[in-house]
Amino acid sequence: MAKIVLEGVGKLFKGKSSAAVRDLDLEVEDGEFVVMVGPSGCGKTTTLRMIAGFETPSEGVIRIGGKPMNSVLPKDRNLAMVFQSYALFPHMTVAKNLAFGMKARHEPKATISREIETIAGMLGIDSLLDRKPAELSGGERQRVALGRALLRRPQAFLLDEPLSNLDAALRVQMRLEIKRIHAQFPVTTVYVTHDQVEAMTMADRIALMNLGRLQQMDTPERIYDHPANTFVASFIGTPKINLFAGSVLRDGGIPRVRFLDCSSSVNGSAGKVLESIDRSAVTVGFRPEEIRLAPEGGGRLPSVQCVVEMVEPLGPETNVVARAGEQLFVCKTAARSGLAPGDAVAVEFDTSQMKLFDSESGDCLD
Amino acid sequence: MTTIELSQLTEQDRKHKASEQASEPLRRRTRRQRLFLDAVLALVGVAFILPLLWLLDAAFNQNASQAMSWPSLTLSNFHSAVAAGAGGAIKNSLYLAVVSTIIATFVSILAAYALSRRRVPLKGLLLIGIIFLTGLPITLLLIPIYVMYVHLGWDNSPFYTSVALAATSVPFAIWLLKNFIDQVPREFEEAAAIEGSGNIRILWKVVIPLALPGICVAAILTFINSWGAFLLPLVIDANPQNTPGALGIYEFMSANGRVEFGPLAAYAILFSIPVIVLYLISTRWLHGGFAFAGGVKG
Amino acid sequence: MTLQTEALPEGSNSQSRRRRVKANDRERFRPSTLGWILPASALLIGLFLVPTAYAIYIGFTNMQLLGPNAQTFSFTGWANFSRMIHDPVFWYSVKLTLIFVIGSGIIAQTVLGMALALLGQRAHIYVRASVGAIVILAWVLPEIAVAFIWYAFSQAGGTLSTLVGHPGSDLLSTVPLLIVCVANTWRGTAFSMLILSAGLRGVSEEVEEAAQLEGASYWRRLFRVTLPIMRPTIMVNMLLITIGTISDFTLIWAMTQGGPGTETSILPVYMYIQAFQFNALGYGAAIALALVLIGALLSVVYIRQLRPELRRGQ
Repeated sequence: MAKIVLEGVGKLFKGKSSAAVRDLDLEVEDGEFVVMVGPSGCGKTTTLRMIAGFETPSEGVIRIGGKPMNSVLPKDRNLAMVFQSYALFPHMTVAKNLAFGMKARHEPKATISREIETIAGMLGIDSLLDRKPAELSGGERQRVALGRALLRRPQAFLLDEPLSNLDAALRVQMRLEIKRIHAQFPVTTVYVTHDQVEAMTMADRIALMNLGRLQQMDTPERIYDHPANTFVASFIGTPKINLFAGSVLRDGGIPRVRFLDCSSSVNGSAGKVLESIDRSAVTVGFRPEEIRLAPEGGGRLPSVQCVVEMVEPLGPETNVVARAGEQLFVCKTAARSGLAPGDAVAVEFDTSQMKLFDSESGDCLD
Repeated sequence: MTTIELSQLTEQDRKHKASEQASEPLRRRTRRQRLFLDAVLALVGVAFILPLLWLLDAAFNQNASQAMSWPSLTLSNFHSAVAAGAGGAIKNSLYLAVVSTIIATFVSILAAYALSRRRVPLKGLLLIGIIFLTGLPITLLLIPIYVMYVHLGWDNSPFYTSVALAATSVPFAIWLLKNFIDQVPREFEEAAAIEGSGNIRILWKVVIPLALPGICVAAILTFINSWGAFLLPLVIDANPQNTPGALGIYEFMSANGRVEFGPLAAYAILFSIPVIVLYLISTRWLHGGFAFAGGVKG
Repeated sequence: MTLQTEALPEGSNSQSRRRRVKANDRERFRPSTLGWILPASALLIGLFLVPTAYAIYIGFTNMQLLGPNAQTFSFTGWANFSRMIHDPVFWYSVKLTLIFVIGSGIIAQTVLGMALALLGQRAHIYVRASVGAIVILAWVLPEIAVAFIWYAFSQAGGTLSTLVGHPGSDLLSTVPLLIVCVANTWRGTAFSMLILSAGLRGVSEEVEEAAQLEGASYWRRLFRVTLPIMRPTIMVNMLLITIGTISDFTLIWAMTQGGPGTETSILPVYMYIQAFQFNALGYGAAIALALVLIGALLSVVYIRQLRPELRRGQ
């Protein structure tokens, strides 16, 4: 079990004009479950492979357990990895797959069979020990891959999109299994995925990457409530956050921000930042659940008139796509709202959750 | 630069130095490993090229012998080779190779197309049979073909020798072409058929152009096979005027009591050039086809 | 198969609709198809099947090349075969054939080809391409040229003799089988190199990386993971080498004519000598049949190794 530290890590592949990973500073605490998430090409898999040792960093140092690992071969790093395709040895039975690492370490036969029995029992694959990978289902193969990784008793676990080859129901089940296993074997884990739901549900902390850079690393709650920039705000949360162009109104007192057809005062730390900088344009963000139908007769919150474009009933709640002027946005309503496309409604914005971003850089103004 | 920026700079430099050093040992090790492997591979290459170097040396060397010596350059060996019959023999080889390739390719295209697209009774059995035939050694067929040819009076005829050579290449050519044609989508032929084209026209205008890489591979392989033919001509064609290149070289080796290395080397080179050229052409623009000819899907 | 449903008049219920559905086999047999396969069939029947049957027949006769039994020969039953079984030269020839095919073919070419494929994977591309080109050049050269080169190479005073420190000895007379095997390996390695390189590329990179991560050393990974995964490719390669080598005539004939004595008389050579020099066509045919039998037996071995993969439909 070990802490993983990446200092200033960057990777430029030969022949490519831009770096796959740049300036990455990241720490995974001992026993922590960190999920690296981001769109395709953001550098998360490259980072994972650098931690594993299959790629050498072009710059920066990777430390595992305090020791610099840049020049250490993968086989000497004492890590375990679950590949996207599981990479089970196709010509060996499940039992032999599981035993491979221990045999390579020349462990005694009795130990090997004991360990295999324990793990197989724990993962529910003991009936599959004599089968070959080709005869197993996706979920079974994944469990064998997990078993093989667990048997390494590694310093850290690396998982590369392990659930993307499974169907939706199986994915939900395996999410729970993996977390359960992590609870039982609290090994430092780095988990890569492009699915933000997996990230939100599984991570102790999320490391969100885009275009090779780390955008934000925080607990799921903090990332959701306090996104560091518009990219983070948009990536995490379904449906996506609504971003509006806003203009700053200063008239001596508390600054106000005007967006769509309404305005709101900006309190708290965001207000103080606005006071100190000289910006007149900002981006205002509201998540769909922070936009609700305005009560009859208006309320105290800023509201706006809009026209319903589309209604998406989801069962427990309903998403409504509305248009105010030129702008489309998504808001949530109660399940049976009775709304139909073309209806004119008023919605109000929960400004206590309002997020302000610099309109040029996208960085949060907090 | 302000003091702050200066100190930031050295911090960055320090980081950069540290990060470069971190990955250096592995990079050095990998580089050394690669160089070692390069060296071993190169050694094997040298071992392989020595005989070829000797051939070149002997062909252009006035004092050619079985040993390698610094050549005193001359073309006289080539003249001697031609005098010994190289020109005629190579012409004969050309005839055999070209005629057998034409026959084999023509016959195989027809059969492969039918096997690929049409319903053929016992097709599965036929295909297995064809694969079997590719493995049948010519040694078994040699004696009966000889007897049959003599009976029919087909011996001592370059044409009928070509027919026999063609037959030896046909099974593999059919298998190769059928697999190739299988990969060509049927839609093109169906479109042509709807427009009223007859079968021959479809074959000529649609299938052959699309299967051209495979056809070229089959043709080239047949050509190379027939070019080097030795045993079959040895047995069924005793007419010295029909002697193909391979036999010509052999006879030259055992003629005159002593082996004339120089002229023989020249002869061998002359005989090898067409085949080498053909191979170079085929790899240049048929790379995919050649890999396919290996028959392995990797 | 295409399903053709006929247009039904309105008002027909589903039952009658079901009855009206016809299965129409798209691929009807068309007599013209025979025309397409006729030329090939004629060639194959005439020059493969008929000769094979004839060869079997001749093996049971005392047909000769010239002389009394050339035109009027008689059926001799098992005489040729029993002569073969009691012929020490025949068995020696079988042994030589096996050494030649298995030694210089299966073992040497596969090992060398595999080594080249593995080295080529990691080496610089220029080295790989040039060495590859040289090895392939040796393969493309006509067999007679190869025979001549190695003849010269292993003469007294030839380059090989000099290299091994015995410049005076005629290696072709002292260790003829070895020289012939070396020549054959030199000639044939390219084939294995190409096939095994392709097979090597087919091993999934992630599997290799997984093996690395498990702590396995290079050799363990090679022998426990990479090679086993490549087994089908290796078996096909061996099958093709066997088929190609077992009927090889030109190389040995041009270099040694089967000699000195009978030291390099592999079965094809022995067959030729018996049939066309000693005049015994019948006996020669019998020897050829024995050759085919040996080839078939070897092939069965490989095919059995491939059976699990074949069953899975590779």
